[in-house]
Amino acid sequence: MKLSLELIVLLPLLGSLFNALLGRIVPRRLAETIACAVIWGSFVAALAAARAYSGPVTMEMASWLSAFDFHAPLTLYLDSLSLILCLMITFVCGLIHVYAVGYMQDEPGYCRFFALLNLFVAAMLLLVLAENLPLLYLGWEGVGFCSYFLIGFWYQDPNNATAGRKAFIVTRIGDVGLALAIVWIFQSLGTVSITQVNQMGHSLPLGVITGLGLLMLLGAMGKSAQVPLMVWLPDAMAGPTPVSAQIHAATMVTAGVYLLMRLFPLIGLSATVTAAIAVTGALTAFYGATCALVQRDLKRILAYSTISQIGYMVLGVGVGALTASTFHLIEHAFFKALLFLGAGCVITALHHEQDIFRMGGLRRTLPATFYCFLAGALCLAGLPLTGGFFSKDGILAAVWQQGGLLGGGLYALGLLTALLTAVYTFRMVFLIFGGNEAQGPLASAPLAAKGKPHQTLPSVMQWTLIPLALLGLGGGLLNLPAYLGQGWMAQLLAPLDHGDQHGLSLGVELTLQGLAASISLAGVALAWFRFGGARRAQRLAEAEQPVRGLAAFLLAGWYVDALYRLLFVRPYAWLSGVLWQGVDEGLVDQSFDQMGTLLGRCGQRLGSWSCGRVSIYLLSLSAGAALCIGWFAWGAL
Amino acid sequence: MIVPLTHVLILAAILFCLGLGCVLAWSSNVIMLLIGIEIMLNAAMLVFVGGSCQWGMADGQVFALMIIAMTSAEVSLALALVVYLHRRRKTVDVDAFRELRDNETKP
Amino acid sequence: MSGLPILSLLVLLPLAGGLCLLPLGRRPGLAKAVALGFGLVETLLSCACWLASYSPVPSGAPQGFFLFEDYRWIESFGIRYTLGMDGISLLMVILTALVTVLAILVSWRSIHERISLHFMLLLLMESGIMGVFLSLDLFLFYLFWEAMLIPMFFLIGVWGHGRNIYSALKFFLFTLSGSLLMLLAIIGIYLIHGSQSGSYSFALTALTGTALSPATGLWLYGAFLLAFAIKFPLVPLHTWLPDAHTDAPTAGSVILAGLLLKTGAYGLIRFGYPLFADAARILTPLVLAPAVIGILYASWVAFSQKDMKRLVAYSSVGHMGFVALGIAAWTPVALSGAILQMVNHGLTTSALFALVGMLDERARTREIAAFGGLWGKMPMFSFFFMLFAMASAGLPGLNNFVGEFLILTGTFKVAPLATALAFIGVILPLIYTVRLIQKLLFQEERQPLPLSDLNRRELIVMGVLALGAFYLGLHPTPLLDMLKIPVALLIGGMP
Repeated sequence: MKLSLELIVLLPLLGSLFNALLGRIVPRRLAETIACAVIWGSFVAALAAARAYSGPVTMEMASWLSAFDFHAPLTLYLDSLSLILCLMITFVCGLIHVYAVGYMQDEPGYCRFFALLNLFVAAMLLLVLAENLPLLYLGWEGVGFCSYFLIGFWYQDPNNATAGRKAFIVTRIGDVGLALAIVWIFQSLGTVSITQVNQMGHSLPLGVITGLGLLMLLGAMGKSAQVPLMVWLPDAMAGPTPVSAQIHAATMVTAGVYLLMRLFPLIGLSATVTAAIAVTGALTAFYGATCALVQRDLKRILAYSTISQIGYMVLGVGVGALTASTFHLIEHAFFKALLFLGAGCVITALHHEQDIFRMGGLRRTLPATFYCFLAGALCLAGLPLTGGFFSKDGILAAVWQQGGLLGGGLYALGLLTALLTAVYTFRMVFLIFGGNEAQGPLASAPLAAKGKPHQTLPSVMQWTLIPLALLGLGGGLLNLPAYLGQGWMAQLLAPLDHGDQHGLSLGVELTLQGLAASISLAGVALAWFRFGGARRAQRLAEAEQPVRGLAAFLLAGWYVDALYRLLFVRPYAWLSGVLWQGVDEGLVDQSFDQMGTLLGRCGQRLGSWSCGRVSIYLLSLSAGAALCIGWFAWGAL
Repeated sequence: MIVPLTHVLILAAILFCLGLGCVLAWSSNVIMLLIGIEIMLNAAMLVFVGGSCQWGMADGQVFALMIIAMTSAEVSLALALVVYLHRRRKTVDVDAFRELRDNETKP
Repeated sequence: MSGLPILSLLVLLPLAGGLCLLPLGRRPGLAKAVALGFGLVETLLSCACWLASYSPVPSGAPQGFFLFEDYRWIESFGIRYTLGMDGISLLMVILTALVTVLAILVSWRSIHERISLHFMLLLLMESGIMGVFLSLDLFLFYLFWEAMLIPMFFLIGVWGHGRNIYSALKFFLFTLSGSLLMLLAIIGIYLIHGSQSGSYSFALTALTGTALSPATGLWLYGAFLLAFAIKFPLVPLHTWLPDAHTDAPTAGSVILAGLLLKTGAYGLIRFGYPLFADAARILTPLVLAPAVIGILYASWVAFSQKDMKRLVAYSSVGHMGFVALGIAAWTPVALSGAILQMVNHGLTTSALFALVGMLDERARTREIAAFGGLWGKMPMFSFFFMLFAMASAGLPGLNNFVGEFLILTGTFKVAPLATALAFIGVILPLIYTVRLIQKLLFQEERQPLPLSDLNRRELIVMGVLALGAFYLGLHPTPLLDMLKIPVALLIGGMP
């Protein structure tokens, strides 16, 4: 078991080092093979750990920080939650690595790419397996750094570098919340070990727990792109598509959700915190769905969709449905990675065209991609019997069970978002894959003119989609609802789950499922009405008009970016200049300089006494003598 | 003593102040400076004589004679310097000779 | 080994080395080699001291000091030649030796006139700094404190650029004015102790127990604090630092940032707090507030800098603000973190200045706007630059994070508000760091510049520093263990 745990984290790290140091020397195929092999090796190690798993396990590997009463050793903790996540991470990332070999085949900087990709996986696994909070923070920032560097991978374009910069800074604002919470926890409980903190949590006053919970929520907001720190994720699509799939769909953005789940025994004790988490999640889900409705860039649609789906997960955590959230997390990893990889196939095939209004007829020209993409879309929209349906429904059912005004409102919002999800998902599908190639004024005329309609796709890119599609569709088997047999995942995660998910009666549960199913089908129908068949050409024509009104508002992400720039970015830069020129150079420096000049001038004035004029000297002599005599005369009196 | 020592001292002090005043008031003229110095020296001599009278010892008067001799020598030297300086600069203004000043100060 | 006066060797060997360089004015190659040799021997000696920490403590040594030398010097005034090393000074001594070797290697080819004089000044400064870290007699400490200034003044004035005379004068006068007040305070406490106990002595151990009236204690401690605050530097007494750093030659900046700033912090820990425990406790806000303000303010100002060196200089002010925060908190965890951060900051900032110096050497400019796209042209340089910039921004896994985190953990107990504000100061360095990285390493190159990647000497230097950064970031345990006893003694001795 110990060896398995070590290997899970160590193998990707070694792969990263290999690629960073030796990647340029060895043949390209070897470097790529090592990069993929270490991830799959990690997956095998995770499987071995799963086989040997019989209960939560803690293993101390080495000492890291240890000063007086503050101890944060390198300790790994394996329980059902981290085990499931490890399996998912290694599997999905393994597939994405193989895909990336094909995607980046023309890229000269592949050593750097794979080194960073491996380093990212190592950091993410460390985050998931960490037993104490500083170690979690190490993994947390590690994934942040890798994300930053990978978003700006094609650094020659300033936009990419800026997007990476934005991501790093915004997530760090959240990270500071987490760090402050860690420090506060240490001060309150004297320990930073997660297991101990969760056990001792109930001994803290409610105000402290609320504060800690809100700070952790801030951290999760940053990393998982929740409102209000979600502005970085759409721009992060500037990175290569495998990066978007791995980091910004399957793994890093789920780190925030994982944090909240991991520390739920502590922060769940405060009703304020759970309500805040739930509201954040619901609002974010709604925000993401509305923005995705009008986007033109394929990857941006998927980005906003990710924001929305993670909102669902956060909502699930907020109502205490940890199993449902985990289930949705796993499912989302499968189908979102699938969608991103499929998008990568589409984009590459169309010579890096990303505007969905310029695509068409791909269901005939890229059939394998089409079917896999469709599978992912079905899961995303939550059509009945797909894995996505069961996972989303699980969360909604838990929200309904919460009851009360908050529960009802959040349920309605969640349901509305599900409708919007179905709409934008199939808007995407119909626009990309529907119609014929050379249809409408926006047809990709240059492509037709080139003679070669599509760039040939490396076969790995299409083959890796299949396992994900199968898992996405069949994922429902992982956690069937109670009436169809006890959910396997629910059993596994039972120790964690505090909300009584199995308390719904069969009738209510079936009703809710029916409602969710009909909503998603209605959404597909709406999308068909607007974008399917003959209406498609109409929409393409309309898309040429400049966007106005509500659509413009949604296209710009509710203008949050512009708001932040107005409120924070510009004042920051302006104040920085003022502080430099005005205060530092102006006030402080000038005052010292002027003091120096003043002293210099005083010195000069004093120096003018020795002017060489005898009369002055005589005068001074007599004055001094008079003073001395006067002093003695006074003394004598 | 016929004249109390206090009176002698007051007279000497007045003389000294007059001499000092002469030095300070006519600091522009070297000759007046010398005259002023002479008067101050005479005031000092007066104090010596008064003291000699008070204590009945000849030392004070001897020293007064020494002062006379010294001042004669000093005045002759000083006047020779004055003649020489006047030949150089055509002026007897002592402020005209400022070579011994701090170089940073404006002349 | 036990009979060898290793501490005196540490202090006097660089001095001897510097004097050896005097006749080598016409043979710069030999001068450089001799200087490097002395630097390396010094490094070996300082590492050997680590081993000495395991051998039995010499008799007469105060508690916690595992190396101790005490000789009569000027008996009539009670001045003795006392040198001592405990865990804290050991770390500082090793840092000094390493940073001096770094400074020598970094200026190997960038100095073209009066070369042997330049290296001689580097060695003399090492001698002075070693003396500061090792002396336990107040007079001896003051002697070395002043002796540090003079070589640095000449380094900036002779080999610097820009307004170098102005910057050198500014640096000198700022530090000197604080030091003079400290001298008065030293004499003050000397006289008070003498009148109380009858025996006049400048020794630290003797003066530590002096009973001072609250008012006197405040004034004396205030003088000490002023001298150290200028050196830290604490805002608003920091304005000498950007000028001095920007206009100094690379070796000067490296030693200034890596070592001289630490002497202020060390002085506060070794002399300020033990001598004036009550006054220090009362005046804690006077250190806490400027520290927090400095962290935020300096990072904020660094954002708009156009000169690379000035940006790194302002970042130094911010980092030393963290150290000041840790010292002001005066809890075991915070103090350990502060001392560790001194070592870390010495490593990281010296490396950054060295890298900036390498760029300056090649392109003859330090304007950020002149560069771009360096990742493609100088990949190894860019890798190290990214590494140390991220370390400076506090990325976990690298060295600065450990120190900062320990400081913040330890300070939260006593000053939660200051800590919360300091956490904002964790975001700000990242903002200017990623901006710098983007403008330098990413994007397209602005103008064609003759830029070659790192040569072998530079690669070895940077490699060693990078290994150090990773080691200190992932396994700082040996250093933290070394600090356990001295920190416990310092804090335990306080009421």
